[in-house]
Amino acid sequence: MKTIVCIKYVPDTSEAEVKVNPDGKTVDNSRFSYDINDADNYAVEESVLIKEDKGGEVDVVSIGPKKSDVMIRMALAKGCDRAKRIEDERIADHDPLMVAKVLAGAIKSEEFDLIMTGCMANDDGHMSTGVALAEEVGVNHASMVKKVEVLDGKVKAHRELEGGLMEVVELELPAVLTIQTGINEPRYAPIRGIRQAQKKELSVAGLDDLSIDPAEVGAEASQVVLENLYIPEVESAAEFIEGEPEEKAEKLASILVKGGLV
Amino acid sequence: MSSESQTFTEKYDLLGCIQCGRCTGGCPVTVRADLNVRQFVNNAYDEDKLEELSRLAEIWDCTACHTCAVRCPKGLKPLEVLIGLRTIIVESGKVEPTVRDALQSVLLEGNPWEKSRAMRTDWMEGLDVKIAEPGEPVENLFFVCCTIAYDPRVQAVARNIVRLLNKAGVDFAFLPEEESCCGSEVFTIGEEGLFEMLVEDNTEYLNEFKAERIVTLSPHCFTTYKTHYPDLKNPVIHYTQLLDELLEEGKLVWKGELQKKIVFHDPCYLGKQGGIYDEPRRLLKNIPGVELLEFDRSRERSLCCEGGGGKMWVESTSTKERLADVRIRDAKELDADIVAAACPFCVLTLEDAMKNLGYEEEMRVAEIMELLGEFVEA
Repeated sequence: MKTIVCIKYVPDTSEAEVKVNPDGKTVDNSRFSYDINDADNYAVEESVLIKEDKGGEVDVVSIGPKKSDVMIRMALAKGCDRAKRIEDERIADHDPLMVAKVLAGAIKSEEFDLIMTGCMANDDGHMSTGVALAEEVGVNHASMVKKVEVLDGKVKAHRELEGGLMEVVELELPAVLTIQTGINEPRYAPIRGIRQAQKKELSVAGLDDLSIDPAEVGAEASQVVLENLYIPEVESAAEFIEGEPEEKAEKLASILVKGGLV
Repeated sequence: MSSESQTFTEKYDLLGCIQCGRCTGGCPVTVRADLNVRQFVNNAYDEDKLEELSRLAEIWDCTACHTCAVRCPKGLKPLEVLIGLRTIIVESGKVEPTVRDALQSVLLEGNPWEKSRAMRTDWMEGLDVKIAEPGEPVENLFFVCCTIAYDPRVQAVARNIVRLLNKAGVDFAFLPEEESCCGSEVFTIGEEGLFEMLVEDNTEYLNEFKAERIVTLSPHCFTTYKTHYPDLKNPVIHYTQLLDELLEEGKLVWKGELQKKIVFHDPCYLGKQGGIYDEPRRLLKNIPGVELLEFDRSRERSLCCEGGGGKMWVESTSTKERLADVRIRDAKELDADIVAAACPFCVLTLEDAMKNLGYEEEMRVAEIMELLGEFVEA
């Protein structure tokens, strides 16, 4: 079983205040901490669990800066076998389709059974890269996967739909699965494991090394134009309903009816 | 740190144990959890059993209070056998998600609270704080502690120290945001590799500063630096020692009175492990109006609050009463108005217990620096 897991290095915006830079198109990232994208972390764990169960290999592919090497080393420490980091400022990385084209270009020469990636990125939340990647490499895909069963030449994927509904689909391999959080419990990468993983291959490549035409994955090729980033204004109004319980209920019901909510 | 070639038995000197059982007899956790540390020391002789032992949930009940080490007639540290077993689990990667996230945060951001390194000095906002620079002489170099730096509940400890020392004319400086976790909890959680890395990196970093001494705000940092950093150039003290000196020199000018009964809870890392018992008491006793009470279990017999040993990230499987609750009920019986501590973990766990028991109206849990901030001119 050969798996390729695609991971992204993202800022944690849950604690620090998000500020838009004066250019209106970028965010001040000086106070963020960075780590592996949450859903990608589950994809790494799932790929290692499959390797532990069925044997085989796991390759990591990531587009990101040098400082993301620590994240990649952690994935290698957890059991992935080798990694490729792509760094090239010409990539229009705000567009998931361009990202998918680059990832596809990086793995086109590889034989694989499965590609796994998180179903969504914490930073831009497009939920599109994995699906676009399946299209680019021309294989089946299943998104929002919460359980994986590897069968002979096939994979059974349990997809999490809304309202607690699960859909079970069977896909011929090779296939792309976008992994939902909660599918497993990602393990810890101990420092000694990270140190040992220094011996594993981590290659760095630019678009030219991968023979990807920058014109096909750059801003010119992208049909997505980032026009403006802004923090939505907080608007809130609270109305306190006074009176006896019956009176309160009547007033509340009339507000809900007027607002078209019931 | 011991070398890789040592066996588990050699590393923890298991053959030095005479199986007297004073460790388990004194262990405060035995009343609420299934932990028998003597038995672990006994069973760990068998190297083939280590894996199996490491999977027992009770190894995570130890709070690293060191009561067992204090009482051991052979001078052993039975708790470290449990830490060694934790290391087996940590190195397999299969730890609780809360532990995983705390350890990873130490590696990536230098603190176990999953906060950005860039926010480490935010507590200084609006204060006149000198930031230490390598090579520039300073008398007292402060190491703030991750919990005090980031947790708004205990940030007052650092903020009040700054105000008070500025007023007293003391030469001091705080480290910039490059300061990293001392590794106290990393050590007790059993992440040996990460702890070794912290000791190496922090020693190199701290030795760049030309300080007469390093002053720690948390007893956890205090004991960790004193015990596990053999190559640190400067002596390390706890802030209560520095303030006790100022008290002696008459540099603390009191304002107002605190007509309250205060009982001091000896933090395990300050007392049992650090040997500091009198300084915090002198500081409290000197606040005008204060009547200082004593717990029956005080000083080296102090009851652990269960905040150490990585327990901030591991919940006990026991449903029996928490030791912090016992401590607060003891304080209530003494009719104390304030339970004072000199440790951020003790403050957090004891305050939770006080709220849990519904004593918020009549009792207060306070860090010593919170009280001094209110009653010393600054």
